[in-house]
Amino acid sequence: MSGIVISRRHILGMLGAGGAAAALSACGSSIGNDSSSGGGGETKSIKVGLVIPQAGVYAPLGVDMKQGWDLWLERHDGKFGDFTVTTVAADEGETPQTGVPATQRLLQSENCDVLVGIVNSATALGLRDLVTEAKKVLVVANAGAEDITAKGASPYIWRSSFANGQVSGAMGTYLAEENADDSVYVIASDYAAGDEALAGFTTAFEKGGGKIAGMAKPPFGKTQDYQPFLSKIKSSGAKATFCFFAGSEAVSFVKQYRQFGLADDIPLYGSGFLTEGGVLDAQGDAALDVQTSLHYTSALDTPANQEFAQAYQDKFDAVPTVYAVQTWDAANVLDRALKASGSADGDDLSKALGGLGEIDDSPRGPWSFENQTPKQKFYMRKVEKEGDGYVNTVVAETEPVGQGG
Amino acid sequence: MTDRVSWPPRGMLFGVAAALLLAAAPLFLAPYATTTLTRMLVFGLLAASLALLVGVTGLPSLGHAAYFGVGAYAAGWFAKNISAGAPLSLLVAAAAGGLVAAATGWVAVRARGVFFLVLTLAIGEIVHQAADRWDSVTGGSNGLYGIPATMFGGEPISNVGLLYWYVLLAFGIGLAVLWLVARSPYGTALRGIHDNEPRMRALGYPTSLYKYAVFVIAGTIAGLAGGLLATQQRLVTPEDLGFTTAALALLAVIIGGAGSLWGACLGAALVILVRDTLGPTLDGHGPLVLGLLFILVVYLMPCGIAGIRLRRGQRPAAGDSGGTGKPAPEPVSVGGGASR
Amino acid sequence: MSAWFDANLVSILNGAAIGCLLFILAIGLSLVFGMMDVLNLAHGAIFLGGAYVGWKVGGAAPTWASFLLALGVAVLLGLVAGGVLSAMTEPLRNRSHLDQALLTLGIALVVAELLSMAFGNDVRGVNAPPGLDGSVSVFGNAYPTYRLMLIGVGAVLAAGMWLLVSRTMIGAVIRGTVADREMISAIGIDNRKVKLAVFAAGSALAAVAGVLGGPIYGARPGLDATVLILALVVVVIGGLGSVRGALVGALIIGQIESLGRALFADAASFVLFGALAIVLVLRPQGLFAGATR
Repeated sequence: MSGIVISRRHILGMLGAGGAAAALSACGSSIGNDSSSGGGGETKSIKVGLVIPQAGVYAPLGVDMKQGWDLWLERHDGKFGDFTVTTVAADEGETPQTGVPATQRLLQSENCDVLVGIVNSATALGLRDLVTEAKKVLVVANAGAEDITAKGASPYIWRSSFANGQVSGAMGTYLAEENADDSVYVIASDYAAGDEALAGFTTAFEKGGGKIAGMAKPPFGKTQDYQPFLSKIKSSGAKATFCFFAGSEAVSFVKQYRQFGLADDIPLYGSGFLTEGGVLDAQGDAALDVQTSLHYTSALDTPANQEFAQAYQDKFDAVPTVYAVQTWDAANVLDRALKASGSADGDDLSKALGGLGEIDDSPRGPWSFENQTPKQKFYMRKVEKEGDGYVNTVVAETEPVGQGG
Repeated sequence: MTDRVSWPPRGMLFGVAAALLLAAAPLFLAPYATTTLTRMLVFGLLAASLALLVGVTGLPSLGHAAYFGVGAYAAGWFAKNISAGAPLSLLVAAAAGGLVAAATGWVAVRARGVFFLVLTLAIGEIVHQAADRWDSVTGGSNGLYGIPATMFGGEPISNVGLLYWYVLLAFGIGLAVLWLVARSPYGTALRGIHDNEPRMRALGYPTSLYKYAVFVIAGTIAGLAGGLLATQQRLVTPEDLGFTTAALALLAVIIGGAGSLWGACLGAALVILVRDTLGPTLDGHGPLVLGLLFILVVYLMPCGIAGIRLRRGQRPAAGDSGGTGKPAPEPVSVGGGASR
Repeated sequence: MSAWFDANLVSILNGAAIGCLLFILAIGLSLVFGMMDVLNLAHGAIFLGGAYVGWKVGGAAPTWASFLLALGVAVLLGLVAGGVLSAMTEPLRNRSHLDQALLTLGIALVVAELLSMAFGNDVRGVNAPPGLDGSVSVFGNAYPTYRLMLIGVGAVLAAGMWLLVSRTMIGAVIRGTVADREMISAIGIDNRKVKLAVFAAGSALAAVAGVLGGPIYGARPGLDATVLILALVVVVIGGLGSVRGALVGALIIGQIESLGRALFADAASFVLFGALAIVLVLRPQGLFAGATR
């Protein structure tokens, strides 16, 4: 029981702190002109709200994103151009239920000038009206829904990551070139990202002359056992499988794909998240020879990446992931844009982002904004063993492609 | 068997004071505080509608968020595709919540005790799945986004203070409906069912019909609350009708003291404060604090906020339907032997 | 018919393996509720604790020694966790199911958060012990050996539980407590001790299920909620407080999750709760209500 008493004091303390914080920020009025003029001006400082998942299933991504962000700032004296950067982190959680209020707090209570982060696509889409009406720039550093920069675009929302169909489309084009005669079975988690990935792959693959042998969509977040679907793949007679899975589903799928004996006969391809970061270690040997497409791999042999990967390794004792690079690049483009605009105002910043041209020093290789989302190279990667660990080695690379194709 | 559910006897004064304070809030609160208060009102109305089921009638539903979410989707879809005019989307939301509650309630109210808990959980999950899969209407897992701001007299309500007043007005109407139901002779009969259903049936009350009706009423008000969510957040996702939302609404009811409408609203305010304001600042320990809140509430506040007030004020009347406090033999327990 | 059987044989076999794992998981939940009237929503968190024990003690690629050691540690931790849960729910003896559910839900949230602090948020993959980590050919289809073993373990455990409950003195007390708790306490058996014992044993089984489930489910945040829902559905379909009900419920859910998804791939996400709703509409107290065998 004594444990409970301590916990109680603990929670009361926390509530007290929260109450005080609420009281401090609670004065003023909500009626009349709601334009706020935080930051900017003569002081030359900028306040950035970093919205990343710190709890829940996406938390490992949040860790990588935070590290990419911190590393960039550390190596650039904590400054964007002449602006001293203050970062306020907030927990995006798993869903918009936590992500939207967290962002709202950063905008309305912390008066952040710029927002960076967002893993969940629904959260990114749901924030559109909020940031557009506040006229603040949001750099989406992960969420891959097509609509974020297509149908649901806002002049204030930019993306430093990818679009779901763009990643899988690169694999579709590549596979069609390699062996268009073989039919491919496609499978993805049954939710928006999975649908977009399948559509992107199928369109590109069929355009290149490939045939789809069949399709399955296991329930998202509710499937631990893929055997029923693996049986279908086997009986379809497909010569290869393309899949889109992430997180724990990527681990289960890749392991079971080998356990049920498919890995030897029907090679497995996928969007790069299948074997990126922590999930690769959990998959272990089961992931060997799996091939995926992504706009980054830690094995990339370029000076920019080697310098980045070494610094990352030194500071965090970890291999960098695509999630870290996307946030690193978010800082990179904000730095360039602020140098050009000299103003943290949302409209000025947005205009400057549009005029950046090619980002030539990114660890992922050269890329540029096209319709506010990256036009970038994709790498065909193959899982290989290296020492005790596993690595995605580069098999081939594409020309830069944008979201549209 | 007094009106424990309604405002406490001397509470009328409190009620008026609270209403005035709430109405004046945007004049002295900063935008973020006002936004938070708006969220509290939305979630408070959901919790109050659940209190009518749990506290008054003794039907602890784990699927109440389904009707909240259905209302939210209906309002969002209507505002996006047909009209964003002021009260229309809210009416659609309430109707949709009521209709879905009517369609599913007849199954739910047949079950007793823990089976009611699990059956409502199943209903909630099925509706949740439907929201997740019906892409063309709900937007699937990306959610229904881009809901236009509510229009009033040709102008969009985009100012957080004005939006707050709009939500407050609807909240007041919804709460008044719940309060009138709880105060009516019908509400008294519901409390009778809570305390001893077989006896009520022996007295000639159509208890199943009564329970079904209150299920639909609560679903309608939950739908209205959902409509307010769509109005305020302008985004609806499947999470809004998931298990977490349902469990948090129950927590709010228990914090408030099952059976107290205003207690449920205060409970909801506390839950929103912990989840939305405190949670994101804790480096990912938001769920831990919520978990501790669950545990503390159950141990330390067996009768909720309303119970604390009662203990200070007058003693509850004998046979009071506090529901959670007294070790009285529970008619709500699992067996249901007496009724079969 | 035989072609259909051939095509779905692996799914049926797989359903049996999943069913056996679910039985080990759910039996504790069922008995605690049936005997003690406590709805324990922290049951899934104990399973997850077991899964992490399997990963930490057994290692990602366990030897037989480390695998068995992990099972032993899981049993001990499960017993302790059950004891703590029994003590924590004791003050709520006369409160409603809802209060118990909210308390154990809070405990589940806290335990899950503590586990994620201790073991991180990454997905942890676990291999089967040597000899079981490969595949064997079953009628021409590769099938993981480990899952076959799981069916055996489940069958042995089910038989053991059935004998225990139907043929022994302990079983008589268990059955008596489900039927009439007051009567059992009137003949001089301390209810609290029975509750403690059942809680501890049920939690130990859940932790064991976590270790056994490791090679299939791994260990990760969120797994606790997933398995809790499955266990709840098993228990409700089978009827509370019944060994036979838990076994039949587990095997049914195993098939629904495996064969059901293979047959109704397009409606896969509705199958589980659809089945639950149908059972509850037809038999509101579950399939084997009150029959403690």
